[in-house]
Amino acid sequence: MLIEIADVKLSLRGNPILNGVRLSMREGEIYGLLGPNGAGKSTTLAVLTGLRQADSGTIRVLGLDPARQRRELHHQMGVLAEDSGFYGWMNAPDYLRWMGRLYGREIPAEEAARRLAQVGLEGVARKAVGGFSRGMKQRLGLARALLTDPRLLILDEPTNGLDPRGRREIHDVLLALSRDRNVGILLCTHLLDDVDRLCSRIGIIHQGETLLEGNLAELLAEKTGANRYRLRLGKRVSAAGEVLPAGVKAVAREGGWLHLDLAPSLCPNTVWSALFASGWDIIEIHNEGSGLEALYLELTKTEVAA
Amino acid sequence: MNPVTLIARKESGELLGSGRGLGWMLALSVILSVLALLLVSNTELSLLDNAQVVYMVMGTITALGGLLAIVLGSDAIAGERERGTLIPLLLTPITTTHIVLGKMGGLVAAWVLMYALSLPYLWAVGSSGQNLAQAIAYLALFGTPVVLGFGFYAVGLSARFGNVRTALLTALISLILLASPLLLGPSLRQSAIGQAFDAVNPFSAALNTFDSVVIDSQPLGMQLGRLAVTLAWLALTFWFAKRSAQTMEI
Amino acid sequence: MKPYSVLFALIGALLLSGATRAAAPVDISLTPAARNPAQPEMGNWLKFHSAIKNTGSQTLSGLVVWISLVQVDPGKEQPVDLEDWSAHKAVMRSALKPGESFSVDWPIRLIQAGNYRVVISAAERNAGTIFASPFADFNVKRKPTVESKRILPVAIGIPLLIAAYTGWRLRRRG
Repeated sequence: MLIEIADVKLSLRGNPILNGVRLSMREGEIYGLLGPNGAGKSTTLAVLTGLRQADSGTIRVLGLDPARQRRELHHQMGVLAEDSGFYGWMNAPDYLRWMGRLYGREIPAEEAARRLAQVGLEGVARKAVGGFSRGMKQRLGLARALLTDPRLLILDEPTNGLDPRGRREIHDVLLALSRDRNVGILLCTHLLDDVDRLCSRIGIIHQGETLLEGNLAELLAEKTGANRYRLRLGKRVSAAGEVLPAGVKAVAREGGWLHLDLAPSLCPNTVWSALFASGWDIIEIHNEGSGLEALYLELTKTEVAA
Repeated sequence: MNPVTLIARKESGELLGSGRGLGWMLALSVILSVLALLLVSNTELSLLDNAQVVYMVMGTITALGGLLAIVLGSDAIAGERERGTLIPLLLTPITTTHIVLGKMGGLVAAWVLMYALSLPYLWAVGSSGQNLAQAIAYLALFGTPVVLGFGFYAVGLSARFGNVRTALLTALISLILLASPLLLGPSLRQSAIGQAFDAVNPFSAALNTFDSVVIDSQPLGMQLGRLAVTLAWLALTFWFAKRSAQTMEI
Repeated sequence: MKPYSVLFALIGALLLSGATRAAAPVDISLTPAARNPAQPEMGNWLKFHSAIKNTGSQTLSGLVVWISLVQVDPGKEQPVDLEDWSAHKAVMRSALKPGESFSVDWPIRLIQAGNYRVVISAAERNAGTIFASPFADFNVKRKPTVESKRILPVAIGIPLLIAAYTGWRLRRRG
């Protein structure tokens, strides 16, 4: 196992931040760590990388204890933290070579160029990093995380700031690493499309606790069956005040959108006709499918306001 | 190359090769030039006045060195955190002590440059006076631990507060407090509290030594107590910086 | 009668002056040292010798002898604070018997240019007056302490050099 943590708890200044996190991951797996803002994902990553020490729980990363063996761990792990910065006055090759020296490696110019090309940063050797776009900085951060040819990659929002083509290119890099070099990748992201495409295994954290963890395909097959739809309403509807047809369940409200689950046996058009007839002011209807987002929203649902 | 040297070289390169660092050196040279030009305009100076000017140049260099140290030190950890570069550093195999010492290495380079910049001025104003060689030697011997101590102190504050502005403000206030007895009249400094403060104040120790050596021609043997104060300041502030970096919240 | 009154006045004045001299029991001499530079300038050391003798018939008790320096340049007449000129400003003798004498050397470092007058004074516990030596005058030549030929190139040259280097660096980077 690359990562094996169980019942991890951590409090900061008396406030519980992690309240029973578990996570297990093997070599070659791409694991998606999901959760709303403030759920404890970043803190979990900090514990895994040894930057924070948990109050209790078992934690093994690459067979090491991150709190006590941080330096050995960092030689085998690559990390891309969210919003990580760079020394703007350096150019990209010099930056990689300087970071390599911190790992005790002298990186030749050719290797630096190759690593930059691997993440789609060809032809930027002379440009100072301070002039990079956000997407270019993300790519450079990924190149930095790959400097030690790690066994484990931990990536926090790695495709932030990338356009669709850029995201696809990074996906391809990560898939190749996982498939060809058996690198384990822990992916922390809000982009469920990325998780859908990349991850074989997911964990969902909410309020410091792991709600669900396991193989993505199995979880989806097991947990979801309803069809999820998203309605944009013209005027606010109280789910308590309005009667929904049988087999229709209100799941969540986000702003002017209402998420409904329709039982698989129901014909959606029949449901919409019934709602219109009841006086519902429906402006848009979207089919969310019976996928990851539905599962995520179900597990981390907000209460429908009265 | 060890991590401390790596970080020190990066810091030196960034500071001394950037507009900011060069601007600082330019400002320093302008201040010293103004002092020296004021001297040229006064033709009625006595031998003692000449020694006073050398003392003033030494005091100015030390004060400006302290100011530079707290500006750089305040940015050392908190600035990296605010720019998002601290976490990538901590995710490498280096320790927080490496980071502290590496950052201080950059400050040492800046102080060495400041000291070198002051030598032509000391020579220009002091070569026809007294105790010029002693002035040059004692500026290095006493100025260095005082300036580096301020650097370590500011690095410690930077790690503790995690915010450049707060660290800088706190360090500035501390510098002003330590410099305040020198702004008071001699009679106030002769009070029991004034003397006690003078005895433990590293800034006072350095400036009083400059006075004793350059103006009163006293030997090194009479300055050992003050040297101990400056070295104790350096040791204490190093411990503070190291401890603060080790226990800072990530 | 007029010539006789003038004669009596003269005799009286002579007797009185003799009586005044006889009432000063301390004799202080002041001589410059033979090795003093002929034309002293700022930074030089001067030395003066004094011999203090009890010329009276009674023992002098608690005798304090000190050196005083005055600048006598026209328009700049002022006493000089000997703080930085001399570390040897006074001596004390608890008792000096009649006929007894002692010598004191007074080294002075010449701090500032100008014309000066030095005098050695003495005070005794029971005497009602200060005793003084003759004056010794000396001139201190100005030594140039400020070399504008040295300072100007440094004060102007160094900032210009740094500014030029800064401009070159920034242009190179841009």
